[in-house]
Parts: sequence; structure tokens; C-alpha cells
Amino acid sequence: MIIIEWLQAYGPSMVPTFNLTGDMFLAERLSIKFGKVGPGNIILLRSPEFPRKVMVKRLLGLESHSVTYVIEPMKSDRCDTIGVPKGHVWVEGDNIYNSRDSRQFGHVPYGLLEGKVFCKIWPSKEFGSLMKSGMKDPDSYS
Amino acid sequence: MVGLVGRLWNLQYKSIVKEASGKTLAVAKFFCVLHVTNTYLCTFALAYGPSMVPTFNLTGDMYLAERLSIKFGKVGPGDVVLLRSPESPRKVMVKRLLGLESHSITYVVDPMKSDRCDTIVVPKGHVWVEGDNIYNSRDSRQFGPVPYGLLEGKVFCKVTTFLSLAHLMLNFDAVNCTSSLSQPKNKRRV
Repeated sequence: MIIIEWLQAYGPSMVPTFNLTGDMFLAERLSIKFGKVGPGNIILLRSPEFPRKVMVKRLLGLESHSVTYVIEPMKSDRCDTIGVPKGHVWVEGDNIYNSRDSRQFGHVPYGLLEGKVFCKIWPSKEFGSLMKSGMKDPDSYS
Repeated sequence: MVGLVGRLWNLQYKSIVKEASGKTLAVAKFFCVLHVTNTYLCTFALAYGPSMVPTFNLTGDMYLAERLSIKFGKVGPGDVVLLRSPESPRKVMVKRLLGLESHSITYVVDPMKSDRCDTIVVPKGHVWVEGDNIYNSRDSRQFGPVPYGLLEGKVFCKVTTFLSLAHLMLNFDAVNCTSSLSQPKNKRRV
């Protein structure tokens, strides 16, 4: 990807923002290069466990932010708070019940971020901007 | 008369614009090719700092690093790699790869203070990197194994006398390749 890329994502981890079967969206790279991402943005990142895989998750915390997350929502409501170290970010899927994200593999280095998703293309009735789409309030869990 | 002058000027204007746009296109194409080569094939790296002494100079040398090996997973322990720093995302560092995922690494925790060693298994999708100068290097011993996705290139060639490019072209022994980048003989291996 150089400036803008057209991608398709599938999987359950970002339901309801993205469909299980696959949605198409546009992602751009310049925001990452200039550091213009913040909590609430949907981002593409290279998986720290499978280097050939690129995942779509929501950014919840930048370096030196304090993130509170539910450890295992299927089992209990127990929360934990963690400070994100320098040069790292905390990402989570919108569907916390079925998402492999920072709650499992920890904070990821900023260098793994590949792009910021800004617009959904398909399905056409869901076409529109995804800038801080308000699906998740990064500061509260209930 | 005015119409004739107007027509002549139009003709000249068109040819100037055509030539200018042709040249601009050529320059744009050149920069595109340069960008693609730099991003996907091969790049220059000016490396300085104490962490890779004696392999690399303290004051800085120019190296060639290629990106295809990283993309195809053809790197292994002993290779000198470029990687984006996990602590400072704008910084790219040069270190030696010592272990891939599921390798077991034994390292000296603090060589300035004691000889105490520790063994660690590199998790899936990560690599272990260390500087050749373990006394003055910030590497995986401090920030842990790094995700493979942070690797940016594999250094394969030192461009010794970069300034005298003509000398470089004529005398091929001015470029030290590969043999000088192999592991220094006194480095402890496990």
C-alpha cells in the first residue's frame, strides 16, 4: 500500500462494524506515517503472531495511555488495567467475545501498524465514513 | 495579421507544454521506479553507533540492504538485519538476528556486571536480535523478542568508499561483500 488501498476483511472479531463474511473498505497509510491516529480509529496492523497476516482492529490506547479491558468476557466481568509502554499501542476487536487481540498477545509495537481504515465501501447500504464511528467508547466498559 | 500571430503563438505554446509535460512525466516515472525499488527491493542504509562494533563503524558507513529475503522469510540466525525499533517507531536499527520463532536463545544479561546467562524461547512470530557489541547495545536483551513484522531488510553489502563512486566502479575490491558481515570469530554461539 502506498497511499490508499482497497481491502476486504472477514472474520468475527469486528462484528458489528464489519460483517462476518466480508466487507470492503478503504484504508490509507499517511496517518500512520505522520502519527495522526488515536483511540477509536480502526486500523490495519500486521499480526505479531503470524507475520504474513494483516488484521483489522480498533485502536484503544497509544503509548503511556492506561487501558482497562475485560479479560475474559465469556466467563466473567473481571477487568484489568494496563499502561501501554513507549512505542506501543493497544488494539481490540469490537466483538470482544470472539477476537484475538491485545488481550491475548499484549501491546503491539507502533511499527506494525499498516494503515487506517476511513471508509466502508461494501455492502453498499453501509457505505460511509468510519472515522471514530462511535461503536465503542474506549474509556468505558459495561 | 493578428489572427496569424495568434495562431503561431498557439502552436509554440502547445509544443512547449507538450515538451514540459513529457519531461515531467519522465521525471515522475523515474521517481516511481526509485520508490518501488527502495520499498520492495533494495535500499541504502547509513548506520552509525556503537552497538555493532566491530562489524560496523562507530562513526557510520553506508550499507545496502535488500527487502526480498524478509518478504520470503529467507532470513536466519547470523544475518544482519534492519528493523524498526519497537520503542521508537521512527527509528530503524541495525542488529544481528540470533534466533527465529521457537528457537532457544542463551544470552548474557548484563555483560558489564557479571557473566550471568539466561535462556529464553522465542515466541511464535517473533525474532531475537542482538548487537555485536553486547557491552553497548540496546537490543532484545532489553526490549524482548520483536515481532517479525518489524524487520525491514537484510544487510548484505558494505559500500566502503561511497563518496568516491568512480573509484568504486573501477576497483571492485572497494566494496566488501558478505564475508565481512559473517559472525566475528570470538562471539559466543549456542
